Amino acid sequence: MLMQASALPLTPFRRGKVRDVYEVDADRLLLVATDRVSAFDVVMGETIPNKGAVLTQITAWWLRRLEHEVDHHMLSADTSEIIREVPQLLDHEQELQGRAMLVRRTTVFPIECVVRGYLSGSAWKEYQERGTLAGEALPKGLRESDRLDPPIFSPATKAEEGHDENITIDRMRSLIGDPATTELQGLSRDVYEAGRAIAATRGIIIADTKFEFGRTRSTGGEAVEKVILVDEVLTPDSSRFWPADSYDPGHGQPSFDKQPLRDYLDAEKRAGRWDGNYPPPRLPKEVIDATSGRYLDIYRRLTGHSLDPNGSH
Amino acid sequence: MLELWSAATRHGLWRRLWLALAEGERELGVAIPDEAVRQMRANLDKIDFDAVAAYEKRFRHDVMAHVHAFGDVAPAAKPFIHLGATSAYVTDNADLILMRRGLDLLRRRVLDVLRSLAAFAEKWRDQPTLGYTHLQPAQLTTVGKRATLWMQDLVLDIEDIDYRRRTLPFRGVKGTTGTQASFLELFQGDHEKVRRLDQLVTEKMSFPAPLAVTGQTYTRKLDAFVLSVVAGVAASAAKFSGDVRMLQSFGEMEEPFESEQVGSSAMAYKRNPMRAERIASLARFVNSLEANANQTHAAQYFERTLDDSANRRLVIPEMFLATDAILVLMANISSGLEVHPAVIERRLAAELPFMATEQLIVRAVRAGGDRQVAHETIRKHSLAAARALKDGADSNDLLERLSKDKSFGVKLKDLEGTIDPKRFVGRAPEQVDEFLRDVITPLFAGESARSERAEELRV
Repeated sequence: MLMQASALPLTPFRRGKVRDVYEVDADRLLLVATDRVSAFDVVMGETIPNKGAVLTQITAWWLRRLEHEVDHHMLSADTSEIIREVPQLLDHEQELQGRAMLVRRTTVFPIECVVRGYLSGSAWKEYQERGTLAGEALPKGLRESDRLDPPIFSPATKAEEGHDENITIDRMRSLIGDPATTELQGLSRDVYEAGRAIAATRGIIIADTKFEFGRTRSTGGEAVEKVILVDEVLTPDSSRFWPADSYDPGHGQPSFDKQPLRDYLDAEKRAGRWDGNYPPPRLPKEVIDATSGRYLDIYRRLTGHSLDPNGSH
Repeated sequence: MLELWSAATRHGLWRRLWLALAEGERELGVAIPDEAVRQMRANLDKIDFDAVAAYEKRFRHDVMAHVHAFGDVAPAAKPFIHLGATSAYVTDNADLILMRRGLDLLRRRVLDVLRSLAAFAEKWRDQPTLGYTHLQPAQLTTVGKRATLWMQDLVLDIEDIDYRRRTLPFRGVKGTTGTQASFLELFQGDHEKVRRLDQLVTEKMSFPAPLAVTGQTYTRKLDAFVLSVVAGVAASAAKFSGDVRMLQSFGEMEEPFESEQVGSSAMAYKRNPMRAERIASLARFVNSLEANANQTHAAQYFERTLDDSANRRLVIPEMFLATDAILVLMANISSGLEVHPAVIERRLAAELPFMATEQLIVRAVRAGGDRQVAHETIRKHSLAAARALKDGADSNDLLERLSKDKSFGVKLKDLEGTIDPKRFVGRAPEQVDEFLRDVITPLFAGESARSERAEELRV
């Protein structure tokens, strides 16, 4: 279990609520997904065993599957291989197992590329009130959680505190230029549609997701800069995963991964034992185990095999 | 809002901050037993204020009094509470949390007001009324359009609140003069762990980031920033209250009046705009305090001086509480505003013929007249009609005078046709529609998306 990936002998680059990024050298970064979990905007005191490894290995699995759709930043998600590349990490093999990914450094676009394939969450609210999504009109009479064909691209800027701000595509153009906007939008749709189709055959609905892209620097082997997929990809943390066998449009759907956690926290709130602020309630072992089980189940369903505790495939 | 500034909330936050500090230190390897953390968690809100008072009498130090009172109920934690910290760790961080929550509460109230005013503006979107510049009758506007002016001020306030709310930093874990020396000692020279502790506690309290550097306290500029947003809300409300009071004086519009409400102890017939007056009264108080915050910042020497303390304890809660009261009043007034179209139209009728002079000239020329002659005729009769009104005439008879003037050559009926008030309001009704559609509806749509996002969403 890894609460803080704090002891790595590398320069910290950025630390997120659940992921840490370290500098390896001028061209490479190390992403480490911790087992930390947040809900209702509060980081839980407990960790969810295997969560970090599942997120990293799901991203790795998708990137290999989607290689013909999009170039990406992954160099390795195999801990032994990473340690051969970055020998300073030798003493940390155990804590990094499965959860680390060595990636190329890029200049990341300041845009969250959100693609929505089902009408849910804030998109459903907007549709209810205005009949639109990301400002564009949708057909009348859609229900909550209905499938959207084609999926809708709705960009957001990265704001502090995880509350990204939805922006129009025109605004995105003014931020990053017309060619990049067209390219990011096209790539986002392609990757999402390919992922949605694959997941559907495995009993998982990916209702919506968020991608990030970066521009490679021409210092590497290539002289030409290109746009590649970075960050985590089609994971339960970057997407809304629903179990397909209980899909029932017309209302909200349970979350594949965090539902046990949310149910527990909701019950604590309703019982007046938690006000939604720090400190969050202590999570009972059943809730931790159930949530951990959900992550492992998602990995198994998607990839067809259990998570290898050694993190190599 | 009263609860927010209560001792129970403030000192409950101190205990939460001590817990977050202990948890963070523990996660980073300080040997704090689980039992200590457990006891702290179990006693976050069980504060014995009598015990605190007794300690404070001995120590003459409020933070230490609370440390001891907390230690009494969480004995296993007693050796670790406040480890490495200075008073400002709890006092300053708690103030930031309180101010942020205060902004959230004000924001909700502003939205309530906007909801009422949106319904009001829509209902009266095309009711013509006299517009005033220099407090003198000018061109016409509509009752609803005037309401959008009040609303727009509040929308701008919300944008300001949102910006401050989103970017307000945490003081974090910085130590006595802000150098984190005590924490560097605690972590035996491990700079990275000190940085992590700062960030970890900031995250636990759901702030976007700690201030990069501080003295003992966070820069008092943050207070000035936040309180200027609060004062902005009060100013918007004061402008609204001024308009309501004047319209009530004209008899065009009145704030709500309960069936048994008494206007004056002596003048039984009176119906006073006392709620709007109370807004004006409180807003003047709030606005007088705004400058104080920057003065406090300006008066801080080096890493901190204590002359901020007693002042801030009054100014911050009072500005929030008074502005909260202002918004309660404003919501009440705006949901029950009574409009009296008959009075509006009567007052309009007295001025309208003067405002129509441009159109009257055109009408005369269309009937074969000479523009310069028509202008002179109107000037002459306008002055006479205005004089007559001031001398006691009960209506504006400019049109009658013109119709009787052979040189003008237009019949009364045709003249009256030119002065339908709806022809003088320009795009006011459409501006109301557009404002509601383009500004207010998206704001409310964003609002429900926002409340849903608060339920934890990544997408």
